[in-house]
Amino acid sequence: MSKMAKIKKEKQTAWQRFCAWVNGDTADRPLMPADPPAPRKTKTDKNKKQKTVSSRKEGIELNRFGSIYRICAVLIGVAVVTVLMVTVLQLPLFGSPDNPAVNEVVERYVEKGLEETGAVNMVAGMILDYRAFDTFGESSVLFLAVTCVTMLLMRDKNNTSKDEDLLTAREHVIEGYEEDIILTKIARLLIPCALVYGIYVVLNGHISPGGGFSGGTIMGSALILFAVSFGMIRMSRFFTYATFKKVTSCALLVYAASKAYSFFTGANHLESHIPLGTPGAILSSGLILILDICVGIVVACTMYGFYALFTKGEL
Amino acid sequence: MENVRIIAGIILVAVGLFVYITATIGLFRFHYVLNRMHAAALGDTLGILFVLLGLMFLVGFNFHTLRLGLIICFLWMASPVSSHLLAKAEFVTFKHIKSECEVVEK
Amino acid sequence: MRLILELILPALLIVCALAVTFSKRLLVSVVIYTSFSIIMSVIWVLLESPDLAITEAAVGAGVSGLLLIYTLKKIHALKGTSDE
Repeated sequence: MSKMAKIKKEKQTAWQRFCAWVNGDTADRPLMPADPPAPRKTKTDKNKKQKTVSSRKEGIELNRFGSIYRICAVLIGVAVVTVLMVTVLQLPLFGSPDNPAVNEVVERYVEKGLEETGAVNMVAGMILDYRAFDTFGESSVLFLAVTCVTMLLMRDKNNTSKDEDLLTAREHVIEGYEEDIILTKIARLLIPCALVYGIYVVLNGHISPGGGFSGGTIMGSALILFAVSFGMIRMSRFFTYATFKKVTSCALLVYAASKAYSFFTGANHLESHIPLGTPGAILSSGLILILDICVGIVVACTMYGFYALFTKGEL
Repeated sequence: MENVRIIAGIILVAVGLFVYITATIGLFRFHYVLNRMHAAALGDTLGILFVLLGLMFLVGFNFHTLRLGLIICFLWMASPVSSHLLAKAEFVTFKHIKSECEVVEK
Repeated sequence: MRLILELILPALLIVCALAVTFSKRLLVSVVIYTSFSIIMSVIWVLLESPDLAITEAAVGAGVSGLLLIYTLKKIHALKGTSDE
């Protein structure tokens, strides 16, 4: 039997082996050992005395290597820390006017920022107007991360065994009739408040501290609380994998389109023909508000997607 | 009047910090999970109430007072529920719970 | 007052960072890591960047701790839990 398997294995082409590896079929070298690791030997273990002479010699050599390794590690660590400390001592003081970070770029941003972007919160004006392309990259990184997690942890036919199917079925049954009444009552009170607070932080991103990332995370944690307290079945009534895909890609596309328009007009800051409005009002500062909403949606969906994929393996 | 307000605020914050210190000592001194959780939950509710009331007095009565009141409401709803869920998890998973405390069968 | 805070909080940060690496159980490491994030968010407030403080409190202390604990559950590294 093993010979047959061997011949069969040799006949596989490299492409077939690659496909098998992608599907998680690693019969010859298992990814994770099925058996739990053996318990660690304590010092009172009697097996230690039965070691042969040769293995003891090897052990001594290993010990010697280990001590050299440790000494080297400590030396390298101390050297790196010394270099870092010396560098830190030569840094200019925090917030002093004559450090190299204060130059004409900062002056321009601080003096003309309000006028050009219309955002009272300088940070929002910076990251969503002057440096909007960076923020686009950050949102794409989040999207990419959730895509990778989907590739790794999404449940499908090839990577689930029968036992795991049974386990999920049992969990669904338990979820069905064992709802904690205290948790559900309080969650009904708290989830709308958390969602409204997240929306407030997103919409006020150009006026007060906050913005897309923090507000999106708050909304995402509200979604997670909903999934925890009411179960995945109720969650799937309004948030499925299809909604996730559509909403996230639409938000990213709107962002990309507005940034592409600014490239078209010379890649200066995010120009728009929307009037900037009075600084301090909610409907002001041109495209920043729209971009904040886009980033918030992407972040909220990503946070909930991470949670769902980590716990259940499905969205 | 101003001094009375500030002194009252400081006293309330000090009482809250005392409750927190007691809760932390209890958290480290008790041995069983439910006892430790009791201490931690007390600190989370009573301590935060006193500290935030003291901050209300210190800040004076304006819009921030309302925000602090909302924070108290949120924490008084969220923190006991999380303690309850932890206790429930301990009750469900620990087999020898009857050797540690009385259990009332439904 | 402010100077004392600026001295104590980085010291606590270093203690937390060392405790994360030296603690024997992974769950304890995760819990200490979330407290690291909370201290870091207070330091961001002291450095006058409230934007970062909000994000750090939401992401570092909330969501990433949750995800790390779920990862530990997924790889069966939590003590006393067995799905078999």
